[in-house]
Amino acid sequence: MALTQLDISTEYIGEIVESSTSQFTSESRELNGAPPFGSFVKTLGALPVYGLVFNVCTHSIEPNRRATAYGLTEQELREEQPQIFELLKTEFEAVIIGYGDDRGPQQVLPPQPPGIHSFVFPCTESEIKALTNSGDFLRSILCGNRLPADDLIIASVRNAWAARASDMPYLVGIGKDLCRLIRDDYDRLSSIMRRISQ
Amino acid sequence: MNDLWNNLNGSPNIQDGGEIGVVTQGSLTEGVEMKLNPDRSVEDVKAGKFVVIEGYKNQFFSMITDLSLDATNPEILLYPPRESDQLLHSVLNGASTYVTVALRPMLMLEQGEEVVDEPRPVKTIPSHFSKVVEAEEEDVSRVFGSEEKDDRFFNMGTPLDMDTPVCINLNRFVERSNGIFGKTGTGKSFLTRLVLCGLIKNKKAVNLIFDMHNEYGFRAMKEGGQGNSFVKGLKQLFGNQVALFSLDPESSRQRGIQPDHEVYITYDQIAVEDVIALQDELQLNPTASESAYLVYAMYKNRWLRQLLSLDGPDVEQFAEDIGANKSSLSALHRKLKRIENFPFMVNSLNGADAVDTMMDYIDRGIHIVLEFGRQTSMLAYLLVANILSRRIHEQYVTKSEKFYASQNSEDQPRPLVITIEEAHKFLNPATARQTIFGTIAREMRKYYVSLLVVDQRPSGIDEEVLSQLGTKITALLNDEKDIQGVLTGVSNASGLRSVLASLDSKQQALVFGHAVPMPVVIKTRDYDEIFYKAMGDLSDEERMEKAEAASAAIFGD
Repeated sequence: MALTQLDISTEYIGEIVESSTSQFTSESRELNGAPPFGSFVKTLGALPVYGLVFNVCTHSIEPNRRATAYGLTEQELREEQPQIFELLKTEFEAVIIGYGDDRGPQQVLPPQPPGIHSFVFPCTESEIKALTNSGDFLRSILCGNRLPADDLIIASVRNAWAARASDMPYLVGIGKDLCRLIRDDYDRLSSIMRRISQ
Repeated sequence: MNDLWNNLNGSPNIQDGGEIGVVTQGSLTEGVEMKLNPDRSVEDVKAGKFVVIEGYKNQFFSMITDLSLDATNPEILLYPPRESDQLLHSVLNGASTYVTVALRPMLMLEQGEEVVDEPRPVKTIPSHFSKVVEAEEEDVSRVFGSEEKDDRFFNMGTPLDMDTPVCINLNRFVERSNGIFGKTGTGKSFLTRLVLCGLIKNKKAVNLIFDMHNEYGFRAMKEGGQGNSFVKGLKQLFGNQVALFSLDPESSRQRGIQPDHEVYITYDQIAVEDVIALQDELQLNPTASESAYLVYAMYKNRWLRQLLSLDGPDVEQFAEDIGANKSSLSALHRKLKRIENFPFMVNSLNGADAVDTMMDYIDRGIHIVLEFGRQTSMLAYLLVANILSRRIHEQYVTKSEKFYASQNSEDQPRPLVITIEEAHKFLNPATARQTIFGTIAREMRKYYVSLLVVDQRPSGIDEEVLSQLGTKITALLNDEKDIQGVLTGVSNASGLRSVLASLDSKQQALVFGHAVPMPVVIKTRDYDEIFYKAMGDLSDEERMEKAEAASAAIFGD
């Protein structure tokens, strides 16, 4: 967790531009370089805050201006109109699923939201494991506002499962937690489980 | 991969003790329900299994009585997951689809408490989410005792899927009349032989066995065995402690057995009650007993001899003389004529009276097996068993009264256990109230005589008698009426009903009642060389060595 100054400058993937107790928005360090949907990210501050990426968007840096279609491939555009890429930015939004204290990651909302301009990093495998060792993170997803809950569950569970080297009993355990959380909605459960294991 | 899914779905190889589920609901009257742990396969949990519920203060020793598959959402049942969808199977298992196991707490013990003679009935139930674990060996010996502890315990077999012996308390066993039931071919005779061995070995009572099919005294055919598979009889196991009586000495000799005594019965020994007991077998009219008593009033002990000496036409005249109904007496005469055909019926005895000889043996603590040889008709069996038991019982009543008067322990009669097969013939509701066996079964141990009732049709036995039986050992029964019959007089019988109907047809029995603290399903002990040895029997080589040693001691080397 203790990153050096050099690491911070080279490994961060975004910077927070909007923050609240339950969600934060970051601007990606590179255009189209946002972390994947459903990946686990963290911010470093007094208390590290952990989030799950649920939305990625790329748009003009000017709120009142939209990009215009040129009818060229990206390669051609970069050669003929390189300046337009400087006028675009990629942002990603993450739902907060926990924070870290001296006992490690806790699956509880942080006492304070992450600070604006904090850097955002991808979580390590051990952090992912700690955050997903029970099905509680699924509850954060299901209870969140305007989240694409089913798809976010699929993507995040796949990441958590991959962090455990595709351990089947883990997947079954998470499936059981999910089954309870969605109140035995059999159709939904079977659809989610099928898509996770595809 | 398949192994992996098996593991996730409740592996059949998870056999270790430990938690099998948690209590979820229940009541004192209906028993409690447990949710099976998802890592347990339902197929490993069998009805009749012995489990322990760990409450906060008490341990509840219970029996599994029923299993059911449940689902939280009926939609799952309408659209079951495809077989290929193993992940969904595993996820649903234990979460949305689960197994409920019905348990019947049979015995309650405080943590660390031992079973004393009078077990405490279950008066409360375990709290929510109490752990249910498989019984361990020490639990079994804590509840059922062990042979090493005390000679009143006799090993009958082991609980299902376990190796620790389940013992019955023989002291309590002989305090009441008992029953061994099971449909044909389920090992009734085998169970009976086992119990008799226990009684003989531990010297808890003297046995009188009416051996209709010649299977207790000397060797008996082993059912389901291959080739010449015979098992040892009581005489072979216990030698001088057992005397063989035979009604058909010729048959015994043909089977290579030399009986200790031959039994003959004179007509004068047959009382009217003995004839009434044959009511069903001889199809006697209800008026027959009245006619018989009329003859008895006139001729006393010689009544039967007198009646049978008449020829057809004389009977009517005779009826007129004694004031009996002509047709009724003729019918009685006609039907009793069958008795004359039995070779063991004689006009007068040459030697000692069989009952006197038997009493002499019984007084010396020697057990008696009465073989019927080829006299296997129900009529012969009923007649002989009735006559002998009635007369022995009479003598026991006298002895007991003498003991009550003197209160001298030397006068105390030895407890006697009479074993009868096809008991429903003796104890059916119509005759049980009038025959000697009905009396013995009801009066319990007042006169030191009790019954060991062996039967395949318990529903034919009088309910009053059934409810008085202390310990019942029951192999498989299918007929609903028989199951109900066996469970007469048992409180909370509903759980035992399903257990009884799901027993294996061989070597399994449900034991419940006075001699065990709680009902238990056992896999019965093997009747083999190890058993013979435990009964004190010697192998051929050992016997030879012993004989040599004895001869050396007498005659020198």
